[in-house]
Amino acid sequence: MVSMKRMAAVAAVSMIGLSACSGTDSGSPAVPGEAKGGDLLAKAPVAAAADILPGSTMEKIKQRGELIVGGSLDAPLLSQQNPTTGEVEGFDADMGKALAKYIIGEPKVKIVNSASETREALLSNGTVDVVFQTYTITPERAEQVAFAGPYYSSGLTLAVRKGTAGIAKPEDLNGKTVIAGANTPAIPAIKKIAPQAKIVTFGSDPECMQALKQERGDAYVQDETLLVANAKKDPSVQVVGSPFTTDPYGIGLKHGDDQFKKFVNDWLKKIQADGLWQQTWKNSIGTVVQGEAPTPPQIGSVPGS
Amino acid sequence: MSAILDHLPEFWQGLIVTLQLTAASFLGAAVMGLVITAMRVSPVGVLRGIGTAYVETFQNLPLLVLLVLAVFGLPEIGIKADLLVTAIVVIALYEAAYIAEALRSGVNAVSAGQGEAARALGLTFGQSLRHVILPQALRTVIQPLGNIFIALTMNTSLAAAIGVVDLTAAANRVNLMEAQPIPIFVGAGLAYALIAAGAGFVTGRLERRLVVVR
Repeated sequence: MVSMKRMAAVAAVSMIGLSACSGTDSGSPAVPGEAKGGDLLAKAPVAAAADILPGSTMEKIKQRGELIVGGSLDAPLLSQQNPTTGEVEGFDADMGKALAKYIIGEPKVKIVNSASETREALLSNGTVDVVFQTYTITPERAEQVAFAGPYYSSGLTLAVRKGTAGIAKPEDLNGKTVIAGANTPAIPAIKKIAPQAKIVTFGSDPECMQALKQERGDAYVQDETLLVANAKKDPSVQVVGSPFTTDPYGIGLKHGDDQFKKFVNDWLKKIQADGLWQQTWKNSIGTVVQGEAPTPPQIGSVPGS
Repeated sequence: MSAILDHLPEFWQGLIVTLQLTAASFLGAAVMGLVITAMRVSPVGVLRGIGTAYVETFQNLPLLVLLVLAVFGLPEIGIKADLLVTAIVVIALYEAAYIAEALRSGVNAVSAGQGEAARALGLTFGQSLRHVILPQALRTVIQPLGNIFIALTMNTSLAAAIGVVDLTAAANRVNLMEAQPIPIFVGAGLAYALIAAGAGFVTGRLERRLVVVR
């Protein structure tokens, strides 16, 4: 298992090397943000006509000419709307656009701002085609929706105000007041690791950060990526330790649509193999997390996927 | 269904907080609303102006905006209170504007002759308000007050957005684990409906008993 992972990592790294070499058009850093996203999608694959099976969900989406994605507009690095361009940017957002291009031939996406409490319902009644929203795969959820992937593996960690003493590891949260995003896996995770912690929840990440700074809690538990990005922007806050959970993110699909699930999984394998996945990571999460892109998780490797 | 039964303690805890929020903020809103009404019908121009400004301000701002401002804005100027207390105070201040308007319409329904008669008897403004006008006004606005109470109950669910673990927040948290929004939110919705139905029943009874036939 370990050696497999290492091999995959080596493969991934060499892929990036290769794509970096072959990408002759990527050497124009004049307009970094936009050019990068555009480049990425220009390279994104399009499915063969034979893969769009007649009568399938893929065909329906292709005919509509737009992929309807359940997602967020306020998650930095993952899916955040740029107020100046109106574009939604980040890892999840780019993945959604790439999937749209794979199906339709163009990255045409409509993002429906789905809240954690409505994702299952939006999928099952067909309001959205897919959900890209740091949607952690769990067996309970897999009874309601289908998950392609996992397409990314993340973990929860904690942030505190700079200079806070006595919180070095998640167990230290016992007896403390802990801030968490409403409807995030942080809530059950805190209950498990520090049962005596008092949990206060707020709707969005900016609100949680504000609450932390205003001392409504001693620590803030959230996905490491988000916290690192926050800490970069705001030096009064620091990230403590390394992730203490593993959250495999899946692409939420309508329950029982095995054809579409296989199609999306095939696409994931393809973009992992050709380095697009890694490049997407570098353009978003990789701008704050040090080092090379991680090895993408193996498709179908967690219960519920 | 088991999604609800397995988490009854959480739902119960949330329901208690919702009831606390509702009862405390309605009480606060009633007192505040009474004061505003007295100001609005008082003979002092400045007081009338303040009363009008209060009602216009709070009726024209969304409750959620007020809640978020109170929770995240006030600490910036050094005022930080417990989240539940903040929610109660803000909802009370907000709903007071609506109660004041309902009461004022009740006061307007009391015929002018009543007020004149009270003055003629030598009652002061406060006395005529307390003993003559308001008792009659209150009786005519029982149904509107009941409706405000029901709206207030529903509005308390906004407190979930600022970290108060009420019935709505409890339902959200359970759904996070169980991923069964339909039964969970239908269940929570039914609980709200029950509170509203209870309020409707009580106001109906009160109105039949106290209504002033003109």
